[in-house]
Amino acid sequence: MSATSHGASCGVVLGIVIVIFLQQVAYIALSDLVPSLEYLIIGAVIGGVLGAVIGWALGRSYLARHPVGVTATPK
Amino acid sequence: MSLAIALLAFALVGLLLNIPPLTTASSAPRSAAVQPTAGVSGDVTWNGVDISTLGTISSALSIDFSQSANLLYTWSNVPAPGINDARLQMFYFGFAVATRDVSLSVAQTSGSVPLNWTPLSIGYVLEGVYKLTASVIATNGTTMWSEDFYVRGNAPLGILAVIPIVLLLLVVYEVYALVRSGRYAALGRKPAPPPETPPPASTTPPTPAKEAEAPAEPSTETPPDAAAETPPPTGGVS
Repeated sequence: MSATSHGASCGVVLGIVIVIFLQQVAYIALSDLVPSLEYLIIGAVIGGVLGAVIGWALGRSYLARHPVGVTATPK
Repeated sequence: MSLAIALLAFALVGLLLNIPPLTTASSAPRSAAVQPTAGVSGDVTWNGVDISTLGTISSALSIDFSQSANLLYTWSNVPAPGINDARLQMFYFGFAVATRDVSLSVAQTSGSVPLNWTPLSIGYVLEGVYKLTASVIATNGTTMWSEDFYVRGNAPLGILAVIPIVLLLLVVYEVYALVRSGRYAALGRKPAPPPETPPPASTTPPTPAKEAEAPAEPSTETPPDAAAETPPPTGGVS
């Protein structure tokens, strides 16, 4: 699993959880099935895209700080 | 993997384009009363408040889940044999998570019945805005009149109810996992070779050790010809 896919999976879960949490704090209503599914899908898509971007950026940053395949120079 | 995720996201966006615009968040009052039978009139009050004024999320009645609610159902002009059941239902994701019924021993074509409801059992679990449906039902099971309204329920423990606290824990864990997702960039790449430790000279014969070290020499000491054919690093185009 790459950093992008891992970030996307985390973002999907975060998007769904945040939508349900917004209902618990009385910001939106999830009583009816159809708008609730719309909210959940929109949250999952937005969270997945944002999570993928964040994971991709973090992956590049990590590889820049921890190069793979380069042996440490002897002191 | 990334291609599959991109295709899935594209398919979801395509599905979203076919969904009609949201109407729940509109502030315009909507007619929530459902009258399956023409001529039947009904009314329900929640602690003295007419539920016909609570038809939108923005006008939801703020209630405390630990306190009892006194509802008064009133109906008239119901054809015979009349009403024998008053029902209150609370919905979540389209499913009734709480149902309260009051049955009459004798069906009535017009009248009123009180209904007392204490949602304490779900008060420690849920919080937030919920849709409720008040309905009066005839003896044959037909819903003669019903009306939807919204309440904003406050849990006795506030944000420490079961579902909000579980959701908060999930958010914290997923944010932590997202922050550490950069480490996954190293997976799938060729790992760095472990540092070569020369075996003890007393146990290993000298000839095989020399053969084992022979393939590793070009990687540590690049010949001039190979270095000339190596492309410049990223950003070093000349």
